[in-house]
Amino acid sequence: MLGERPFVIVGASLAGATAAATLRDEGFDGRVVLIGAEDLPPYERPALSKEFLRGEQPLEASYVRPPEWYADHEVETRFATHVVQIDPRDREVVLAGGERMPYERLLIATGSRNRRLEAPGADLPGVFDVRYARDTERIREALAGGARVVCVGMGFIGAEVAASLRRLGHDVTVVEIFETALFRILGAEVGRSLEAIHRDEGVQMRFNDTVARFEGGGRLERVVTTGGIEIDADVAVVGIGTEPAVELMAGTGLDQGDGIPVGPSLATSVPGVFAAGDVARHEHPVFGSIRVEHFDNAMKMGQAAAQNMLGGTRVFDDPHWFWSDQYDSQIQMAGFAPTWDRMVVRGSLAERSFCAFLLDNAGVLRSTVSVDWKRDVRRSFKLIQGEVAPDPAALADPDVDLRTLVPAAD
Amino acid sequence: MAEFVTVGTTDEVAEGEAKAFSVNGEEVAVARVDGELVAFSDICTHRACNLANGGEIEGTSIACECHGSVFDMKTGVVIEGPATEPIATFAVRAEGSDLQIGV
Repeated sequence: MLGERPFVIVGASLAGATAAATLRDEGFDGRVVLIGAEDLPPYERPALSKEFLRGEQPLEASYVRPPEWYADHEVETRFATHVVQIDPRDREVVLAGGERMPYERLLIATGSRNRRLEAPGADLPGVFDVRYARDTERIREALAGGARVVCVGMGFIGAEVAASLRRLGHDVTVVEIFETALFRILGAEVGRSLEAIHRDEGVQMRFNDTVARFEGGGRLERVVTTGGIEIDADVAVVGIGTEPAVELMAGTGLDQGDGIPVGPSLATSVPGVFAAGDVARHEHPVFGSIRVEHFDNAMKMGQAAAQNMLGGTRVFDDPHWFWSDQYDSQIQMAGFAPTWDRMVVRGSLAERSFCAFLLDNAGVLRSTVSVDWKRDVRRSFKLIQGEVAPDPAALADPDVDLRTLVPAAD
Repeated sequence: MAEFVTVGTTDEVAEGEAKAFSVNGEEVAVARVDGELVAFSDICTHRACNLANGGEIEGTSIACECHGSVFDMKTGVVIEGPATEPIATFAVRAEGSDLQIGV
């Protein structure tokens, strides 16, 4: 009804849309307003570097809910609308143009944005990054007729884009600042296994090197590295990490560069205001302070935040999990281990079919990563959540069911 | 009225496990939950991964090993995304030691 303060969700993202759906699933029948900067209904981003990039799937296949779902469930949508600020004193969000919208509860799900590469020529036509559907559409247009591609950065986005574009038959060269693929997240040993997959698929890779400048007369023609290599290129795709979109929190003290701080239940220190997804710096009961940029987390945090906006007190203790599809291989990872003391492998790194367990100095399993060895990542969830220190020999033995390593509840 | 087709024997399906069978062109997974047989489409509605092969069973739910969608094996409904569409469910019964699926 008019005049009622709505539950407002800023960010028509996976986290935001999932929160809206959860509010309805939980039986909330008050006003819900979903505000998004893009002129599109909320969509899932995984396909932007994979199926949608390869032209195998329309964007509609990635919609979080069908476009009519929102009206059908009386979720008011304000797409193509920017929120510039929140006003916690009057409990209002301020839209670009000055309109103010009151809120009863507020969820910030603004996600992250791509880090820009500070290099000369980075604004040349032909230099892209991937965040929005239109980014992928522009890359596809630029690839038409066959292109020489440079991927800058070999994190997950760079590795997936490289894999997709090789599958389409383009020449792909990767320039990566670290010593191997996905080094920062997966470490050298697992990274080299993935590097080998890409090499077999024909990707050229230059490690320990970075872009000095992009060159071209009017559009990209070559990439010059700090190592002095010149790579002829029609298209460059930059994937060098992200930063949380916190600007709207200016003045609240929560606009922190490493994410909006939220407690275990996803509430911020501002009454009635929650955050979920990439933008949230979460106090996780097992991992401590953590900000996660993956699909599953956005979905599950959106769900938990909505429940807690309705008065729930659920501690978000998800073990965190994500996948990456590259060629015919799939990487999965669970948990969180910025560093580890010991890695135990079941399967074979050399054969690129393995599950690796990352243990801390007390032998506690902190993270599990697999390549083409799916089952055991999910089976390690309870070990990670329970901070279990399993027998390494059992972890290494493929015949041991990980579920049997979970101590019985007292 | 479902026509029951024998696809194998009941001892092929262990408690807490799922096994896929091909019935009239349909890939159907059969699992055993608290002793009771359940049958559902083996194909995840998200990205068409096989559910029985590697799917993680907990209670009456199965989690797809590819992208984590969780379905109720009895009703087919989505418990957790990314899938949004339910999986089909099928009648299933034991006739002596024969495992039969209704299609």
